[in-house]
Amino acid sequence: MSKKRRVLIYIGVGIIIFLCGVGSSSLFKRKVYEIKEWVSRPFLPPQEMRTVKLYFSASQENYLLSEEREIFASINPNKEAKQILEELIKGPREPSLSPTLPSSTQVRDVWMEGDCIYVNFSSSLAKAHPGGSSGELATVYSIVNTLLDNFPAYSRVQILIQGKPRETLAGHINISEPLRANLDLIKKNQ
Amino acid sequence: MLFKTAKIITAIFFLLNSLSLAFADSYEIKKVHCEYFPEGVKVFIEVSSKVTYVPRKLTSPPRLLVVFYPAKISFPQNEIKLKENKFVEKIRLNQETHNSVNIVLDLKNEEYTSNIFFEGLSQLVIDLKSPGRDIIAELLGGEVSPLVPQKKKLQRIILDPGHGGEDPGAIGSGGLKEKEVTLAVAKELAELLKKELGVEVYLTREDDRFISLEKRAELANQWKGDIFISIHANAGFNKKARGVETFFNSRYPQGEGAVEVAARENTSGEASDNISPEAKIILWDMIQARYRKESNELSHIVQKRLSEASGLEDRGVKSAGFYVLRGVAMPAVLVEIGFISNPAEERKLKNKEFRKKIAQGILKGIKDYMEKNP
Repeated sequence: MSKKRRVLIYIGVGIIIFLCGVGSSSLFKRKVYEIKEWVSRPFLPPQEMRTVKLYFSASQENYLLSEEREIFASINPNKEAKQILEELIKGPREPSLSPTLPSSTQVRDVWMEGDCIYVNFSSSLAKAHPGGSSGELATVYSIVNTLLDNFPAYSRVQILIQGKPRETLAGHINISEPLRANLDLIKKNQ
Repeated sequence: MLFKTAKIITAIFFLLNSLSLAFADSYEIKKVHCEYFPEGVKVFIEVSSKVTYVPRKLTSPPRLLVVFYPAKISFPQNEIKLKENKFVEKIRLNQETHNSVNIVLDLKNEEYTSNIFFEGLSQLVIDLKSPGRDIIAELLGGEVSPLVPQKKKLQRIILDPGHGGEDPGAIGSGGLKEKEVTLAVAKELAELLKKELGVEVYLTREDDRFISLEKRAELANQWKGDIFISIHANAGFNKKARGVETFFNSRYPQGEGAVEVAARENTSGEASDNISPEAKIILWDMIQARYRKESNELSHIVQKRLSEASGLEDRGVKSAGFYVLRGVAMPAVLVEIGFISNPAEERKLKNKEFRKKIAQGILKGIKDYMEKNP
């Protein structure tokens, strides 16, 4: 075998080894990518629903009655609470019930700390409120009773407007501190 | 092998032994000293770690016994004479059993309140004070009518026309503002009360001006009223809601927190003459809570007469946390004289004759209450 031929063989083998390396590494990369994608792909179970209880006013606004509603279940209770309040703002489906919050109200955020649920509303909750002791009682306790009923691990609710506590919504019911549920206002559905 | 195990067991035994010795050493009463304040005496007991203690009040002669267990006294003194003070004569220390210590405070009289608590891990404080410190009276500056409800002739009535000035209250679809109705009815009622019952009447506002809810309560307290009636017109989301309703304050609308704060302030570890601002906010609720029984009675009587006179639907009596009533140091109610959000009732509330009827209804209620509470 001539020297030249041997060199060519060496070069050829070198090229083959190089190509194999490139090929396998790109193959390997792809595998890694596939594994990565498989691992990071969110596990999507069928969207679970949760049945919740909402308190609205009886037509005379002298007590509260409950209505059931489905919301998207979430492992984050703050998200569930926000949905519940948004459903409350939409008002009752049952025509004999009355809404308890101005429809223009927005829920800014909800969080839970200690035994208390904090709910932060837009200014509409107070500005667009019709006023009156009965109207205010309905608003305050439909919020408080609804949240505490659906999150029984908590015992108080602090209503905030634009992040701050207020004395009252429209001059009557004290909301400056966290409130407990008022069961006297609830009437069991017939 | 056996030998090795025995060795380990012995080692563990010694280790445990030394630990238990260390524990015994840590249950030591090291030092007792006192501090004197005009309103009381504080006894500080230094211990080497948090021990269990059982306090007990004893009478004739008055003593306060505190048993510590487990504990050892590590100083020779067994009696401490105190400097001149109104509360404690002397302190006696006694190693009662090998691991319990009795500390006895010989007291000068039976009128005291005591509060015992750990300050950190190594100091137990016995705080003795004169009894009967009424923080709510302090909060009100002692400038008001007796705080504990007393039977006395009703002669001064405070009327509180709701809303006013920049705060119109509820507004009807026909344009009637709550603040106008409440002022008109309050003025009408004031005249009737003076004329027919011969009582003094004070109004928290006599014209169209804004007065904060807190200020209304403060005014009523300054004027030392005998009853407080806040006059409002109702509103709701449903235009069909109708009728008259009377409210009084629920006991502790914010929960039992108020009671806890009161207890803490009452027996505060510091020699505080002042009430903390946070506590003030919460204690404000307790002022009206003292008159809950009277307010409840007044609300039912007024509601009965109000619904009779107005001819409107009787919605009954409810209790809730009303901001304006919370700080009022007298029986207090809030009347809702009809729904301004209901067009039919709004028309009535505009009518002068109807307003007179409402005023007469409340007047009759107050008269009934006065007759029941001569």
